[in-house]
Order: sequence, then C-alpha cells, then structure tokens
Amino acid sequence: MRKFALTAVLVFLGGAFLPGLARDASASISLEKCTLCHGKPEFRKLLVDGQIRDLFVTGDTLAGSVHAKKVCADCHFDVSEIPHRERPKRVTCTHCHFKGNREGAPQSDNVLAYFDSIHGTAIARGNTKAPLCQDCHGSHRILKAKDPGSNVARGNVAETCGKCHMEIYAKFKGSIHGVALAKGIEEVPSCTGCHGEHRIYAHSDPKSTVYSTHVSEQCSKCHSSVKIMGKFGIETEQVATYKESFHGVANQFGSRTVANCSSCHGVHDIRPQDDPLSMVNPKNVPKTCGKCHPGANPNFAVGKIHVDAKNKESGIIYWTATFFKWLTIGTMLALIAHIFLDMYGRTRRLRGER
Amino acid sequence: MPEDDRKDATRDAVAREIEAAVNEQVSGLPPEQAEALREKIRLRVREEIERDLRARTTAERREAARLAREARKKEKHAEEGETFLRFNRNFRFQHMVMFSSVILLIITGMPLKFPNFILSRFVINFWGGIQYSTIVHRIGAGMLIYFMVHHFLYTILTRDGRRDFILLLPKPGDAKDIAHNIRHFLGKVPDKPRFGRFSYIEKFDYWAVYWGCVIMIGSGLFLWFETDVLRFFPKYALDVAHEMHSDEAMLATLAIVIWHFYNVHFNPDRFPGTLLWWHGQMSEHEMKEEHPLELEEILARRAKESAEVTNR
Repeated sequence: MRKFALTAVLVFLGGAFLPGLARDASASISLEKCTLCHGKPEFRKLLVDGQIRDLFVTGDTLAGSVHAKKVCADCHFDVSEIPHRERPKRVTCTHCHFKGNREGAPQSDNVLAYFDSIHGTAIARGNTKAPLCQDCHGSHRILKAKDPGSNVARGNVAETCGKCHMEIYAKFKGSIHGVALAKGIEEVPSCTGCHGEHRIYAHSDPKSTVYSTHVSEQCSKCHSSVKIMGKFGIETEQVATYKESFHGVANQFGSRTVANCSSCHGVHDIRPQDDPLSMVNPKNVPKTCGKCHPGANPNFAVGKIHVDAKNKESGIIYWTATFFKWLTIGTMLALIAHIFLDMYGRTRRLRGER
Repeated sequence: MPEDDRKDATRDAVAREIEAAVNEQVSGLPPEQAEALREKIRLRVREEIERDLRARTTAERREAARLAREARKKEKHAEEGETFLRFNRNFRFQHMVMFSSVILLIITGMPLKFPNFILSRFVINFWGGIQYSTIVHRIGAGMLIYFMVHHFLYTILTRDGRRDFILLLPKPGDAKDIAHNIRHFLGKVPDKPRFGRFSYIEKFDYWAVYWGCVIMIGSGLFLWFETDVLRFFPKYALDVAHEMHSDEAMLATLAIVIWHFYNVHFNPDRFPGTLLWWHGQMSEHEMKEEHPLELEEILARRAKESAEVTNR
C-alpha cells in the first residue's frame, strides 16, 4: 500500500514535470540541424533589391566569440521548426543582456543606457535605420571590446560608426585624432572617447557629453593631463586659460552661444595649428572668429589666443598684471594701515590716554 | 505749531485793518449798496493776497523749509549749530548716479572674475543668466560713462565745479597733513590736522575714482566693441585691456568696500552711515571737527559781506 502510494506520487510528479522537460528538449534545435542547410557555402539568398544575403553559417562561426558556447537557437529562439518558413526575427539581445541575468552574460546596465540614448530612442520612435546592438557589435563574431579584432575595439569603432556616419568618418580620418588613431597611438580618442559608448546623445541634448557646456570638460579629460599631453609635447595650459577667459567663464555660467573648444578648433576635423586646413591656422582665424564676431580681420590672429597673464612669456599682458598686482597690494596695505591707525587712535582717546 | 499761530495773528491784524478801512468807506451809504461794496473790496483783497503768495518762488520756499528744518534740529541737538550746504544738488546727483552704476557693475562683473565662488552662479542667475547679466553690466557702464561726461562738464561749466576741482588738486600741505594725522593717531600730537574743504582722504577718493573711471571705461569700451577695436589694434591689446579691466575692478572694489565704507559707514563717528550724500548738509559741529579751515573761511566771508552791507 505504502509502496503504491510512493509510486503514485513519483508518477504524478513525473507527469507534472516531464512535459516541461520534453518541451525544453524539443525547443533547442541542435547545431547539426541548422548546418544541414546553412552549412553549405553557396547557401545564400537573392534579395528583391538585388543584394545577396550570405546565409552561410558553420559550427565554427561562433567559435572564438564571446558566445562560443551558445547554439543557434539560443538567440534565434523564434525558430521552432526546420526548415523555418519565415525569416527569423532580429535577435533580441536583451533576452540575456540585462542586470541580474542568469545566463552568464555580463551584469551590466548598458542596454538601459542604450535605450535612453539617441539610437535607442530613434528605434523606439520607429526609425528602422537606427542601429541595434548587433549593428555595432556584430552578429556572430562578437568579441570583447578589449579584443583588437572587435568591431567596437578602439581601432575599429570609428569605422563601425562610419558605416552610417560616413561624412563625419571621412572628416575624422583626416583630423589629428584620426591620423593618430591610424598610427595606433593608444591615448587618442576615437568616436566613443568623446561621445560615450552606449550613452550617446545628440549634441543639442544637455545630457550629451558633447553638449556645448560640456565640451571643455570632455576635451580637458585628456588635454589638461600632463601625463598624457607630455608624451606628445602638447601644452596643457589651454584648458585653464580657456576657463579664465570670457568665453570659458560664460560657458561655465551656462551660455550656449559662447565659444567652446570645438567652436574654434573644429568638431571632427580638428587639425594642428600649422595645418593649412586647420580652423585655428592664422590664415583661417578671421573666418573662424568671424562666425561669432562679424567683421573679424587678421588682427584676431596677432598675439596668442590662450593667454596666461601669470606667465612671463605673455609679455605686456604679464607686465600689466604684475603692475596692477603690486598697485593693489600697495594701495590696500596703505589704506588698511590708515584704518587701523585711526582705530588705534580712537581707542586711545576713548581710554582717556593722550 | 507756533509758526501757524504767528501767521494767523498777522492775518487777523490785516483783516481788522481792512475792516476798519471798509467801514470808513461805507459809512454814509445805504445798507444794500454798502454790502455790495464790502463784498467787492473783500474779493479784491483776497486776490492781492493770493498773488503775493504765488510770487514766493520755489527757491524761497525751499530756503524756508531748510530754515525750519534747521530750527527743528537746533531744538533737538543744540550743540550741532548752524548747517552748511557741503555738496550741492548737482554734485549729490552725480554721486548717486556713480554709486548705483558701480554697484551694478560690481555685482554683474565680479562673478565673471570668480566664476567658482559659490554666490557667483546665484548672482548671474538672478539676472536671468549670463546673456542678461552682461546687458545689465553694459547699462551700468552707460551710467558710469554718463557720470564721467556729466562730471567733466560740471567741472568746466559751473562755478562750484571749478572751485572744487582746484581745491581737490593735491598740494604739498597734504603730505604734511598725512604725517600730522598719523602722529595724531599714535598719540604724539593732541590735535587733529586742520583740514580745508577737502582733506587728503577726500582728495585720494576723488582721484582714485578719476583713475578708476579712466581705466575701467577705456578698457571696458575696448572689450565692448572688440571687433571694431581689432580693426586698429592687435589681439594682445584686447588681452591687455581685459587684464586691466579685471585687475582695476578688483582694486576699485576693495578700495570702496574697505576704505570708503570705513570712512562713511563703519567709522564710529559715522556709523551706521552719514546721510551727507542725500541732503548734502553738514552741521557746524561737524564742520568744526572735520573742515575747520573751510568753516573759518565761510564765517570770514560772511562777516565781510555783512560789514559791506552795514557800511553801505
């Protein structure tokens, strides 16, 4: 009787769980079944616009990528029968990539940052051209960002962004940052260095790292660091002198029209001063300043722009500052001494002393 | 009010006199005619009185008010004595224009020199942000330029202006006064130096403002019309102007807040502040303390004038 009851319970439990187990087993279509068709090198599809979509996938496609241990249906989970009748939907990375996932994906909120970004909001508004995860990170051969072969590695990310932002990529390639990047210099910023990675916003959005009042902060991350700039023989005082100038002060008080670094040096086409294409080349200075100061002439370029009055090399400006410094100290010392003498005399007279 | 009583008394006396004269005129006439004539005379007299009242000019009324004020003050503080007009209305107006413009300029300008100071952002945002605070700064600048022009014309065109300008020129005696005053502070000399209309302190203040206005307005105009200036000057001229503007602003602010405020507000003789800038009056007592030579001069002139009048 007791044995029967135990068996009954076991059978009942088995009956309760087996369908679930069986469904799991049937849902995961093995790699071999997919490569039956996709494993043929000539397996491709001619699209209506004449393009050819290569559908060749083998067991080695995922090998070496971060998803090496995954199989096709882990991501293409909408494929439940073979051959599938419809084109599988775009892969939803958020299936695993969210904070608190149990699939072994990195615990990060980047997906939320992406959804808040200009790309994510464009997708949400229905812009089909806006990039999803796989547009930047790649589809099957996803590598860690640190891996130099990755689409989003520091050396490749500009090209990745350039797939859509072609004009900007062309400008950037000619800029000093682009040239240095091509040389393989480690410290130089690529697109993400200034714009951020997942948190990319339009430059007119106050949340953006390149919003007009944030630009100087963004540039100063590298350009005020003696450690980085020392390697390339670039001065670091530019940031401090900008912040002391009227442009910098007005910028700190939130003016959106006043010049920031990129107003004069350019945005993606920043070039060294001696480059004739540079916006800050003395020949181009009147044009650059003329954007805000109509009627600017070559006199704008006579004298240093980033002036430091405390530096002896500034010449007459340094001497003016020094003159006023000592004038102020001298005058104020004399006046304060007079005040204290006056008070001292009053105290004496109040005490009845003479 | 004793004054009103006095007025009423005179009025009553006049009325009685008129009444007597009228009675004399109408004594032989029948009552109706007499009443009509009486009415006519009354109207005529009222007209005369009113015309007389109108004839008193504004200046006379102001003088009467001043005398009344002085009399009241004399009742309260008998030791203060007579009051003298130290600064005329024009001069007081110039000072008001200047200090209001300077206050505007300081509160909209200093945040730009110290952008990281905790109040700077608040002050700038008070005006609605940097794009508006710079407009306020230019309004202040316009007021200061107006003051400068006004004062220049005042110095040239008015008698008081010319006299004050000459009296404000530094003299060797001022150095002696400084030494004397310091010895007095230290207790070496019992008495203060005897100042004329302007002591060396006031002379310093005047010339400090002169220097400050020239530097600030000059460099400020450079910065205001930067593109036009750069048509004739190189960029570093603008940098020099910027440096001068910023540094002289600091010096002027310190001098005003420490030195001038001590002299006119925090000085125990003046605390919490003198109203000289408002009414321009100085009592005899204060004159004796601070400008004895000027007081002597005024009294001597007055004595001479009255002697002339009596001799005539």
